[in-house]
Amino acid sequence: MIYKRIIYALLYSRGEFHLSRNFRLQKVGDVKWLKNNFGFGETCDFIDELVIINVTPNPSEADFNNFFKDINELREKIFLPITIGGGIRKLDHVRKCFENGADKILVNFLAHKNKLVCEQIATIFGEQAISIMVDYKKDEKNLSSYINSGKVFSKTLKEFIDSMENLKFGELILNSIDQDGTAAGLDLDCLDLIPKKFKNPILVMGGAGKPEHFIDALSHEKISGVITANLFNFLGKGLQEARNFSIKKNIRLIKFEGVNI
Amino acid sequence: MTDLKTKIGIINCDFGNIASLINAIKHLKYNYEVLKRPSDLKFITHLILPGVGSFNKSAKRIRETGWSDAIIDHTAKKKPFMGICLGMQLMFETGSENGEESGIGLFKGRCEEFSNKNEIKLPHMGFNLVSHSNSKIWKDIPNNSPFYFVHSYRIVNDKKNCDKEEYISNTYYGEDFISFIENDNIFGAQFHPEKSHKIGLKLIKNFAEIKN
Repeated sequence: MIYKRIIYALLYSRGEFHLSRNFRLQKVGDVKWLKNNFGFGETCDFIDELVIINVTPNPSEADFNNFFKDINELREKIFLPITIGGGIRKLDHVRKCFENGADKILVNFLAHKNKLVCEQIATIFGEQAISIMVDYKKDEKNLSSYINSGKVFSKTLKEFIDSMENLKFGELILNSIDQDGTAAGLDLDCLDLIPKKFKNPILVMGGAGKPEHFIDALSHEKISGVITANLFNFLGKGLQEARNFSIKKNIRLIKFEGVNI
Repeated sequence: MTDLKTKIGIINCDFGNIASLINAIKHLKYNYEVLKRPSDLKFITHLILPGVGSFNKSAKRIRETGWSDAIIDHTAKKKPFMGICLGMQLMFETGSENGEESGIGLFKGRCEEFSNKNEIKLPHMGFNLVSHSNSKIWKDIPNNSPFYFVHSYRIVNDKKNCDKEEYISNTYYGEDFISFIENDNIFGAQFHPEKSHKIGLKLIKNFAEIKN
């Protein structure tokens, strides 16, 4: 009933935006580079949302402040919903994210380790304002969830999803470490772990590399949206083309058209 | 060149997401001021109440801080006013989020959670189309344009609640709900125009161009 979404994610660490492949990061440029190259502003006209994640491990307060400074520069000319996350441990971090233009915040670690703070965020800012991201990969038997940039095993993905049952939050982002940056298509097997009664919107991330991948994922009834962080495949006209192609193939996406201001 | 006399006041009542709204107004090159208390209202021609958070807490806060009365005064002088998202919901009589509470009461009606929860996912989040009233504020905006929504509560669309002078715009999400309401120079948007690409900027511009 609601429209499906194509979302763009920027991975940021210490002044630079990054490409990620199986959670290994590679610097590609700073905020000025991003603003001035590859038609970033134009890209934003054709996406539903932007996600910006600070992937710095254990960010200090100074790291947070530099992150916000760069976000603010980026945001001056883009007018779309933004989710900000990465390194959020306490309410003060959350508050700063909202002060710096977040519509939603994204938590990962807290959903594994401190549900009390998650509850507080939902109570203070509204449940729709907290997105929960879970990083997972295939181990010998199961899909397993990981924390600390994919380095530390937390619990099986099924245990993680089941532990969400009584938690108030907005949407769930399933981020596949195996598919991350491969451009080989999104993992949809993880959806088998979602119980029937699960009501929150589900987004999948990791592996989108061409328009057909969006169609494969977005045509799945459980999926509300696809997130891509693939800077080179989709900047400029790439996502606009993927979007229009998906609409042609009857995926229920909003068609964005320009207007003269 | 924009009218130099226009000065947009943005109410900063601790629960708004005003950074993006400020960027939008800056981009459109209007004068603006972020207002901490009602006494800051001097010289303000156009007033905006943004909002993210829960109805109950925010309704209490705008009363305690005197903003509720200040908004009523501002609108009584026929000066343009717009509530956005929770700011729009607060313009109505009552809300049920986290316990029953009264709003400002500029419009009749009640803010409740979407009722058909078995058929829809909450929150209603993402772009959705607005079937608009084609009034002055919608100038040059195509009907059924996409705007960005994030909310689990909505104003119940009960036609009996509406006065004759009110224009209602609707959006469908399992039901037709009120996504925009206006009466003279008073406007409420359930969606976020400052987050709705260039179409949203156009709506903010049309609001700023309304003369007292």
